Amino acid sequence: MQELNPFSVLEKYRIKTLPYRIIKNKIELKKAGKELGYPLALKIISRRFTHKKDIGGIRLGIGNEKRLLTSYEDMLEDIGKKNIDAFLVQKMARKGIELIIGGKKDAQFGHMIILGMGGTYVEIFKDFSARICPIIEEDVGEMVNELRSHPILQGARGEKPISMKKLTSLMLKICKLLQKEQIEELDLNPVIINHKGYDIVDMRYRR
Amino acid sequence: MRQDIKNLKYVFEPDSVAVIGASPKSSKLGNVVLRNFLEGAFNGSVYPINPKYKKILGLKCYPSVSNVKKRIDLAIIATPALTVPSIVEECGKKGIKGVVVLSAGFGEAGNYELEKELKKNAKKYNIALIGPNCLGVLNPHKRVDSIFFPIYKFGRPKPGSIAFVTQSGGVGSCVVDLASDFGIGFSKFVSYGNATCLDESDIMEYLAKDKETDAILLYLEGTKDGKKLLDRLKKITPKKPVIVLKAGRSKGASKAAYSHTGALAGTYLAYKAAFRQSKAIEVSDVAELFQTVNLLSQPLPKGKRVGVITDGGGLGVLTADAIEENELELASLSKKTTSRLAEILPSYGSVGNPLDLIADADAERYKKAITAFLDDSNIDSVIVVVLFQAPAVDSSLLDIIIRASDRKKKPILIVAMGGEYTIDSRKALDSYGVPTYVSPSYAVEALKKVTDYSFFLKTRKR
Repeated sequence: MQELNPFSVLEKYRIKTLPYRIIKNKIELKKAGKELGYPLALKIISRRFTHKKDIGGIRLGIGNEKRLLTSYEDMLEDIGKKNIDAFLVQKMARKGIELIIGGKKDAQFGHMIILGMGGTYVEIFKDFSARICPIIEEDVGEMVNELRSHPILQGARGEKPISMKKLTSLMLKICKLLQKEQIEELDLNPVIINHKGYDIVDMRYRR
Repeated sequence: MRQDIKNLKYVFEPDSVAVIGASPKSSKLGNVVLRNFLEGAFNGSVYPINPKYKKILGLKCYPSVSNVKKRIDLAIIATPALTVPSIVEECGKKGIKGVVVLSAGFGEAGNYELEKELKKNAKKYNIALIGPNCLGVLNPHKRVDSIFFPIYKFGRPKPGSIAFVTQSGGVGSCVVDLASDFGIGFSKFVSYGNATCLDESDIMEYLAKDKETDAILLYLEGTKDGKKLLDRLKKITPKKPVIVLKAGRSKGASKAAYSHTGALAGTYLAYKAAFRQSKAIEVSDVAELFQTVNLLSQPLPKGKRVGVITDGGGLGVLTADAIEENELELASLSKKTTSRLAEILPSYGSVGNPLDLIADADAERYKKAITAFLDDSNIDSVIVVVLFQAPAVDSSLLDIIIRASDRKKKPILIVAMGGEYTIDSRKALDSYGVPTYVSPSYAVEALKKVTDYSFFLKTRKR
């Protein structure tokens, strides 16, 4: 099972995460708010529920301490203390395109990495491509081109194209992580990406 | 290369063959295979082996391979499964380096121990063993033929440069039968069954070095070693194209593949990823496999600009649609080509791409148009859509197309839709290495796959 802090495994592979704190009480919460600065996101960490959003376990764009505290109390009350292992206080991600980067261990081929259009409707749009680990830079370019939505990533409607350099570096690191950590399944969803770089907003994995 | 893989030389190019389980009864596999060698003009020694007979089909029959004094390169075994491991041991002692086991009744029937014993015995002597539970091999160049389908029912292909490696004997043989009917040649055919000793990756490793093989076809239900398959494919595709048809892509079909051959079909996504990564050309059904194979005898296109020539306007439009849908391009003709074409068209025609030669076009008008397209450096490949039904088109057009194709300048694809007369014309073209298609989209889809592969080779060379 994954640890309380899902991001620690990323840090081990020098994968950049959004500034965050794991907190268990109000004092820690206030401290986190001061240190990170607003706006913030507050999310529950729960072994019981995998889809946090569906049960109201995510509050975004919290602009000040007062709202941070009320969000915290509301969630405790709505979801129930026993269902919540801890809270994640996280800096809000920058604006960009939502991607999903996933990993899975296949019985015949070993680890494979998946790149797709992310967000809530991943399983409806099913716009993704896959490669067997390890991959090389060229593979990432091809994976992007295989997506039906690739024009969006390459700068549709006046937007700047996403940073392929940053995406490639992230994908190569994830492949390494999958193999070294013997991960069975992994989701980084969403990863928000723009021309400057990426923010990994949420993740879960299973060994 | 592993020694047992090297020894595939004795499977494909033996000078002497023993048929173990040979029989005088025409319904027996051992009879069909023996007759393949006798009637198929195999240019080497053939030894029937069966303790029950003294003579079969006029040949001296031996009780065992150890009773044959001379050297034997290849043994083809068609005896009950339980007897096979000890027969392979005897073959090893005799110094036989190539063995094909046609017999079924091993892992696929739950007899895993028997299959292990077979493997152990073959490995002990570094025997190149194909099978068990397979149709075996065909080498039209050497007239080696272990396929136990009688010749009158199953057309043997002529010698050619395509090797076909198939997990399913049934699918493989149907494709070969159909291809033979269209005069498409093969360098090797291997139905490898349970892949007990040599699997698809091993066989392809050998074929990558085989001088008679220019392209490889693979029909796969599941592999036992995906990493190895990916690794081999990556090494082969920069040198020779590999076309692969993976069965068991749906969830339901995965189960069928499992029980079919004892290997887990695996999740399709990983296969798809591996094929993309290794630049294998993936096709999705047998028809597409056949269509793409057809095109491999042509030179690779240098780019994606297609020229279309037709004598039927509507079919030209359908071809143009297929070109756009498959992300290829309609070439814009050079000025020189435009003026050349203006001279050959009647006054009521107009020059363009697709080029409509008009229903009264004769073979000569076709010839001039094809030549102009081949000479135009704005065009990378040429699709000729022929209405063989038209009155002025006669069989001299076949000769013109074949000669144009022989120049090997650009790929030429023929689309011809129609009944018996058209089908006969298509067969004549195919047997001379000109790929023909029944519909514009089939031709364009095949061209797209080959164009993508050509781009991959170009980037590799840079």
